[in-house]
Amino acid sequence: MNPAKKKNFKIEPFKHKVEMDPKYAEKTWKILEDAIHEIYNHNASGLSFEELYRNAYNMVLHKYGEKLYSGVVQTMTQHLREIAKIIEGAQGGLFLEELDVKWREHNKSLQMIRDILMYMDRTFVNNFNKTPVHELGLNLWRDHIVRSPQIRDRLLNTLLDLVRRERTGEVINRGLMRNITKMLVELGTNVYQEDFERPFLDAASDFYRLESQQLIETSDCPDYLRKAEKRLNEEIERVAHYLDSKSEPKITQVVEREVIGNRMRLLVEMENSGLISMLIDDKYDDLGRMYNLFRRISTGLQTMRELMTAHLRETGRQLVMDPERLKDPVEFVQRLLDEKDKYDRIIQQSFHNDKMFQNALNSSFEYFINLNIRSPEFISLFVDDKLRKGLKGASEEDVELVLDKVMMLFRYLQEKDVFEKYYKQHLAKRLLSGRTVSDDAERSLIVKLKTECGYQFTSKLEGMFTDMKTSRDTMQGFNATGAGAEGNEGPTLTVQVLTTGSWPTQSGARCNMPTEILAMCDKFKMYYLSTHTGRRLTWQTNMGTADLKATFGDGNKHELNVSTYQMCILCLFNQADRLSYREIEQATDIPAPDLKRSLQSLACVKGKNVLRKEPMSKDISEDDTFVFNDKFSSKFYKVKISTVVAQKESEPEKQETRQKVEEDRKPQIEAAIVRIMKSRRLLDHNNIISEVTKQLQARFMPNPAVIKKRIESLIEREFLERDRMDRKLYRYLA
Amino acid sequence: MAHDRVHLNVGGKHFVTSRTTLANAGRGSMLAAVIDENWQLVPDAASNELFIDRNPAYFTVLLDLLRTGELHVPPGMLEKPLYREAEYYGILDHVKAARKGPLNGNRLDCVASISGRATGDGTAIRASPDGGCCVAHGSMVHVYDWLMEEQTPLTLDYVNVNDVGFLSSNRVVICTGERENGAGGMASFNTRTGKIEHKFQVVHDGESKNFTAGALASSDKHVYASCRGRSYEYGVGTWDQITGQQASFLYEGPGRPLGDACKMQWLPRTNLLLVANLFPSSDHSFITLLDSRTKGKVWSWTDAALRGTADEKIVMDTVAMEECSTVCVVNQFDNLGFIDMRANNQCVRWSYRYQPSKISEAEERFYSKLACSGSQLFSSKNDSVYVFCSPDWDAAKGVQTARLRRKEGGAISDISVGGDRLFVLHNEEDVFDVWETPGSSQIVDIY
Repeated sequence: MNPAKKKNFKIEPFKHKVEMDPKYAEKTWKILEDAIHEIYNHNASGLSFEELYRNAYNMVLHKYGEKLYSGVVQTMTQHLREIAKIIEGAQGGLFLEELDVKWREHNKSLQMIRDILMYMDRTFVNNFNKTPVHELGLNLWRDHIVRSPQIRDRLLNTLLDLVRRERTGEVINRGLMRNITKMLVELGTNVYQEDFERPFLDAASDFYRLESQQLIETSDCPDYLRKAEKRLNEEIERVAHYLDSKSEPKITQVVEREVIGNRMRLLVEMENSGLISMLIDDKYDDLGRMYNLFRRISTGLQTMRELMTAHLRETGRQLVMDPERLKDPVEFVQRLLDEKDKYDRIIQQSFHNDKMFQNALNSSFEYFINLNIRSPEFISLFVDDKLRKGLKGASEEDVELVLDKVMMLFRYLQEKDVFEKYYKQHLAKRLLSGRTVSDDAERSLIVKLKTECGYQFTSKLEGMFTDMKTSRDTMQGFNATGAGAEGNEGPTLTVQVLTTGSWPTQSGARCNMPTEILAMCDKFKMYYLSTHTGRRLTWQTNMGTADLKATFGDGNKHELNVSTYQMCILCLFNQADRLSYREIEQATDIPAPDLKRSLQSLACVKGKNVLRKEPMSKDISEDDTFVFNDKFSSKFYKVKISTVVAQKESEPEKQETRQKVEEDRKPQIEAAIVRIMKSRRLLDHNNIISEVTKQLQARFMPNPAVIKKRIESLIEREFLERDRMDRKLYRYLA
Repeated sequence: MAHDRVHLNVGGKHFVTSRTTLANAGRGSMLAAVIDENWQLVPDAASNELFIDRNPAYFTVLLDLLRTGELHVPPGMLEKPLYREAEYYGILDHVKAARKGPLNGNRLDCVASISGRATGDGTAIRASPDGGCCVAHGSMVHVYDWLMEEQTPLTLDYVNVNDVGFLSSNRVVICTGERENGAGGMASFNTRTGKIEHKFQVVHDGESKNFTAGALASSDKHVYASCRGRSYEYGVGTWDQITGQQASFLYEGPGRPLGDACKMQWLPRTNLLLVANLFPSSDHSFITLLDSRTKGKVWSWTDAALRGTADEKIVMDTVAMEECSTVCVVNQFDNLGFIDMRANNQCVRWSYRYQPSKISEAEERFYSKLACSGSQLFSSKNDSVYVFCSPDWDAAKGVQTARLRRKEGGAISDISVGGDRLFVLHNEEDVFDVWETPGSSQIVDIY
């Protein structure tokens, strides 16, 4: 036998058997076919499983697998065609129920048919790569029932109509819906998707496009959002009840797109109810809802953030630029803090502490606080106010809270060195006048500044505290020598020795002190220099205070608390009752602006006018004459006559401070340039500018023009040179 | 409890068992269906029995298997009818599991030695996923099912077979050389019918080309083969298993290693394809791993730099042990070598098993072949197969733990592992051995 033939006629041996009973296959198939009919007609009780199984087994064994398989396909198809007719004939609402009932019956029949044909499934189907019986039954159901032209559209329309009715508030049979969708899923995910899910999503899209259009015309923003949220939850619930769980992201996406995404701009910008007015009115619930809904859209939160930032910047700009508010620095800073608190609460309560929103808030504050160049001064003044009196009696926690808030504002400042300058001035005044509320609070704030800006930033501030302490020790030593507290009649002297450099001193503060004071001063000077060699003492008369005992007409005695300058002026009136401005100026040698201010506070403040001025007016002129006010009276024994100091700096002072700050910045910028050039050797202009800015921005934002000037100065002093080939490059000269 | 009791009459013999015992057979079996409630049981009114028209002797054995999970085969009972009966009841898997355990190289029994009828020497043997195998003889492929019953022999137009492999238990792919008239190439066959299913084509510019298919590998979806053609058909082809359509083709110019590859292996865990071009089909050994999706070489090794040195080692066979992340190689002196496949540019770590000087030149020799199962490595040498066990993390730390040898058959020309069996093809006579690990519950040795 040649090999090719052998391959083709493997079946041969069985031909003999078939010839013995040619009707064997027909007979056996007839039995099985009848059984399948009976199964479909719910009349299986008379059937013997063993007999049917054995018959199917024999057919496969005797190579009639193909006949058996095609017979089954044919018989099942025939039954399904009949079933299709019955379902098609179902009236109206009964259509779905009929389909459901028939589907369950088919499943049961299929199970039984599969049982009979189990052996065929395992051998014939496997060997010849056919579709297994169960899958075959599902495929036939799909092709002859679900996708039959008479049923397909009707089924889809019925399902969509039910969903639509449920959306408009009607109650539908959810159990039936679930059975039908489950059937579609069982027939294959693509059947569910193509025959139901896709049209369902399209219908939802149309429905919500229309609804949201009507809604947005009639509702305000919070109302709209409430309804949108409700719709979204309804759809999620619908999926849970009777759709495939994989549909959830798809349907929510449709609702998100139609109801929120496409209306986003309109919603947030809705007048009198949009995002801005929610922010203004602290509508935590509405804001939270908006956040949760918008979070679902890719650009949703960004839209909210942008609008919030724009609003914050605008209100912030108004806040810091409003000339009315600039009058009271404490109020100004308090407003900033309140604004910050308000938005912190919103972000915490409504926005889940979203980092992106926090960042937007911070950058907005940084933006508008630095719009006003007086912000550093005002913040320092706010601290000053709090530490002088505002925090009196407050608990430690409260103090910490206020200080932390101040630190937060401080962080926003770009010109931190300006703040330092003012802070030093204000701290000096507090320390010297002994009017700080609590040393602990002062120190706590300095520690905070130190952690924020480093050791260098606070070293001088800490020096001031050290000076205060050593001064107390020195005074104790001085008094112990007996030189300080001699005799009850003489004046008592308290000296605070300040280290030059740590304190914001003004050189050129001079005045002629009364002789008795001068003597005391000399004694102290001798004592101090005898204990500390190689030091030089300069009297800062502009910063001192004095307590004077004065007797007025009718024997009225008062203790007057005055500044050193005022003391000098008043002591002149021990010898004379009437002095002209020029006489006073000559005798005391106090600088004119200080003198005027001192006189003003002695003569022009009601209730504290120990001097009378002629002629009477608010301002001091150089032709005025001053008379001892014999009639002065006060219900207090102690009278504090404070110098009229503008709490805020006046315009020229401001200029002066500014100039000082600029002056201080020069060496810092130069140091930064040299540091950078030393490591880089060769760098172009733009890169130097950006590196210097990077290094210094913790303290202030250096102006590029200033940096350029510093570079030029360094070139003059031969630290740097321009490259000969490329003028834009700078070279470091070691 | 009477409700649980089932009376069966099998071929005239009365059996009483319980529903729970029959349920052990699994829902997909005839025995479970026979008591299913869909089929309202109408026992014979008189005897109260369910009748099954089968031989009671085998049913006794199988019912005991369901009861105890153990297979007791009485002396004298033939195995084939037992399997046929088990297939009828739908519990063949139970019998197989009881008879044959997971492959363990240290507990292998030779369960069969099959002599073929072919005239020439067998050149290659390949295991099928269900325990069957096929042997290539020149231009023929003899296929054996898991009972070692021979199926219809296969040929692809009587061209020399280069490689053959199973796609499933009843589908094989055969690679052959090309012929002028468009014959040869590569095709898949149904082993039950012996009929061709698909002929795999290399299509270039809408024209199918003649080509020689070399080595073969298959994933669960695709078939891969190294191809050599006249012009552009040089490289590695990928075809869909079900449709037989060409999915992609990685072209390489003639003379480049991929198209000439003589060994390929699919690595299912990492989705990589090992392609090796070894002596004697090329001068330089070259092993690479291709990413199945991008078709990029993610790893490669070559001995080009080492050629011509004093103790020259030529790589003769290779196998990737995915579990150990190692590519194993063997040289002409049967020394094993290991290459780490986690990093590129690795050296071979050789383990000096045999001294090169001891090999006599006169004798006809078969070079060592490799196969692996998990972290066990099988290596043939002369007439024996050696088993190496190694820790998962380093195959080079492996130790030789067993030696498999039969008196007959002579030198070994090929080995293959699959379907929990080891197949060993001998050279001198047309004979191959089947080794398997006995199942834990098998009591009587039926061979």
